[in-house]
Amino acid sequence: MERVDRGKDSRLLKNQPYDESLEVIDSEEVASVYSPTPGSRRQSESRRSRAGRGLMSANSSSDEFEDDHKPQKAKEPIGGQPGVSPNEEDEEEEEEEDDDDSDEEDTDDDDEPGQAPEGAYDPADYANLPVSTDVKELFQYITRYTPQSIELEHSLKPFIPDFIPAVGDIDAFLKVPRPDSKADGLGLLVLDEPSVKQSDPTVLSLWLSEETKQHGATELKKVTSVASPQSNPRAVDSWVESIGALHRSKPPASVQYVRPMPDIDSLMQEWPSELEELLGRLHLSYTHLSYTPVLHSPVLHTPVPHTPVLHSPVLHTCRNPDLISFSLCLCS
Amino acid sequence: MILSRVKPAVGGKTPVSISEKKKKNKTRVPRLEEYLQQRDYLGALTLLEFQRSIGEKEEHADLWIGYCAFHLGDYKRAMEEYKSLTMNPDCPAEVWVYLACALFFLGLYKEAEEAASKAPMSPLQNRLLFHLAHKFNDEKKLMGFHQNLEDVTEDQLSLASIHYMRSHYQEAIDIYKRLLLQNRDFLALKVYVALCYYKLDYYDVSQEVLAVYLQSIPDSTIALNLKACNHFRLYNGKAAEAELKNLIDISSCSFEFAKELIRHNLVVFRGGEGALQVLPPLIDVIPEARLNLVIYYLRQDDVQEAYNLIQDLMPTTPQEYILKGVVNAALGQEIGSRDHLKIAQQFFQLVGGSASECDTIPGRQCMASCFFLLRQFEDVLIYLNSVKGYFYNDDTFNFNYAQAKAALGNYKEAEEVFLLIQSEKIKNDYVYLSWLARCYIMNQKGQLAWELYLKMGTSSDSFSLLQLIANDCYKMGQFYYAAKAFDALEKLDPESNYWEGKRGACVGIFQLILANKESKETLKEVVPLLRNSGNPQVEYIIRALRKWAKDNRVLLS
Repeated sequence: MERVDRGKDSRLLKNQPYDESLEVIDSEEVASVYSPTPGSRRQSESRRSRAGRGLMSANSSSDEFEDDHKPQKAKEPIGGQPGVSPNEEDEEEEEEEDDDDSDEEDTDDDDEPGQAPEGAYDPADYANLPVSTDVKELFQYITRYTPQSIELEHSLKPFIPDFIPAVGDIDAFLKVPRPDSKADGLGLLVLDEPSVKQSDPTVLSLWLSEETKQHGATELKKVTSVASPQSNPRAVDSWVESIGALHRSKPPASVQYVRPMPDIDSLMQEWPSELEELLGRLHLSYTHLSYTPVLHSPVLHTPVPHTPVLHSPVLHTCRNPDLISFSLCLCS
Repeated sequence: MILSRVKPAVGGKTPVSISEKKKKNKTRVPRLEEYLQQRDYLGALTLLEFQRSIGEKEEHADLWIGYCAFHLGDYKRAMEEYKSLTMNPDCPAEVWVYLACALFFLGLYKEAEEAASKAPMSPLQNRLLFHLAHKFNDEKKLMGFHQNLEDVTEDQLSLASIHYMRSHYQEAIDIYKRLLLQNRDFLALKVYVALCYYKLDYYDVSQEVLAVYLQSIPDSTIALNLKACNHFRLYNGKAAEAELKNLIDISSCSFEFAKELIRHNLVVFRGGEGALQVLPPLIDVIPEARLNLVIYYLRQDDVQEAYNLIQDLMPTTPQEYILKGVVNAALGQEIGSRDHLKIAQQFFQLVGGSASECDTIPGRQCMASCFFLLRQFEDVLIYLNSVKGYFYNDDTFNFNYAQAKAALGNYKEAEEVFLLIQSEKIKNDYVYLSWLARCYIMNQKGQLAWELYLKMGTSSDSFSLLQLIANDCYKMGQFYYAAKAFDALEKLDPESNYWEGKRGACVGIFQLILANKESKETLKEVVPLLRNSGNPQVEYIIRALRKWAKDNRVLLS
């Protein structure tokens, strides 16, 4: 695997804040090989003072990175004598800063180690400026200071996965068979799941008692209710519809009168003229009239007129377009 | 067996047609069989109860009630029914295994095992114990019950289901395909195959196989839910939600089956909307609920809450490993804990290096994250480059990608990628600011880096940024901004000595002027910069500058 090879010849010049040396041959068997390195904790401090770093990197060559370790060049302390790197001849500053750079940026520098960043300052570019010796001397101040290499922190922004939908598990055939031992084909011919169309127990109970005329036998065990009807109109609609269907299938409710009732036509007769006159004089507004009607409801020797009889003329009026204005008031 | 529906089981219509039947069959009430055929278990239960109440009992009515409740998914009801049956002295012994099945689905595994042990040996009992061993993670027992499995359909399907739960999808598919070859009419197996393909991320294959089943049973809950999930993966949450809405519309109000699954998935498809209301009660009911809540917290930057939720989870699926890795990486960086980062890196490596995930996008992200934590940025880039096409406008991706590029010295591209990032949160992160500043400077745009500093309020971060600008600009020969930065540092931190840097930078500006790389006018600014320092050398340098200015007729003040 390419991965593995790469890991082998990578030379870690020094420890980064969260570095681990981990040779992974088989990813399945990653064991914790955490071995604290002496310098790693101090790394963060080194942003300000590089003084400790020479030491640190020297130490690091003796720790866990054994494979082809490149001898580490010592770092000179900040503000110290410039250009005394041990194994360099000329252009010390240049080399120095290059090394700092590669060391901080290429943790595994298998390609061209120590290359200066493109466009870095190079005093050689200015060596031939036609200037006086005074100015030349002045120029030496430039190389007298070696810019610090500032360690920048990295921060991995973890890749947060997408939300994960649930599809459920696969039928494991841990299921109850039919009590009559017949094959039900559940989980084979069809998925073992209830149909989306389930009878409403309440409606079905009403149906069953209707069909079997076993009224009262099924006392509704619970009265169902719709928790928040405004947000669940479907439940309300479906209830209304199924109860509607139940009622439609029943014969219409009938009322048996104790005595023969007067004919509707006779009830619809105009009132006697005296009464009409009286009503006119009263300036009854239609709303007043509402429907305490002195309609010709037969009293039939009972104190309370039968409501159906009382309502019949009203119903009749409503159905008669000629009396529509009257009916309006009655119905209001 | 006829698979397509003869008539829809709409609330109002069913009784009518049943009453028609009544006339033909001369039965007083509709027959149980009709409800069972339609898998209208609620209807069947109501009928059974009605019969019970009027004293007209079907043979084995209690067992039928248990059967209906079980297949309705009302395991609690089934359990109660079976439990009361077992109280009878003349209860048939196999009721114990039925009770065990109901207990199993209620998640009462210990009780299920106990009940199963009272049942006589049977293939069903063996399958149940096999699955219980899986739940208990008891490999030894698992192997024992595995060996008892026979080469009969039910046992093989039960085995396939274990394969599925252990993420061995190919093995499961092999079993299903073999059984399908023997029994072409086992249509349900198509859905099982589709589920496996879904898990293998072959969403269009899953969709194709699923279509065969839906053609016969267009209103199957499990199949429609899977279709919605495929849509979610293939298209987006909206497409998925539409599919699920369809399912909700066709199901009757009394339909309770899979309601939790649907509610859960609606949250997923709506990008986490309602997560805090819906998901907490579903934890440990739907395995994904916990993971999704963790994802929700991570997206809200509530890393601690995410960690609390996932801390005790023993990861088994790649998704769980990834999520544990992500949470540990986030927390480790937030609180600076090496241990958490170590765990994160190991989980990432495990997933990214696994055969099943190494070529998936999440797998590649894992490898990249792992190497990022190891600070091996060349490797980070290899993995990120391989999935870059999927993340053009992804801030998270770009943030990591640009850091890796910058770490390797590829500042030009790093700058471009950094500038693609939109998130204000990232743009205010010091890691972003400092690396962008470095990119600017390395790309000879010191001025832009200086502007980044000017836009920052005074803080320890802005102080660090000044040091970065001072030194990096110096390194790159952008002495003007180096001098300005050293000057600012001097003012902010009079205790420290910035003179050498400032001196060099000021002389550097002079050199640039002489080389015609900087305007002569800039020299005017150099003098006050030098004067700000109290060093005795100041006058010496200024004298040299004045001399040159005089000779070259440059006005200094």
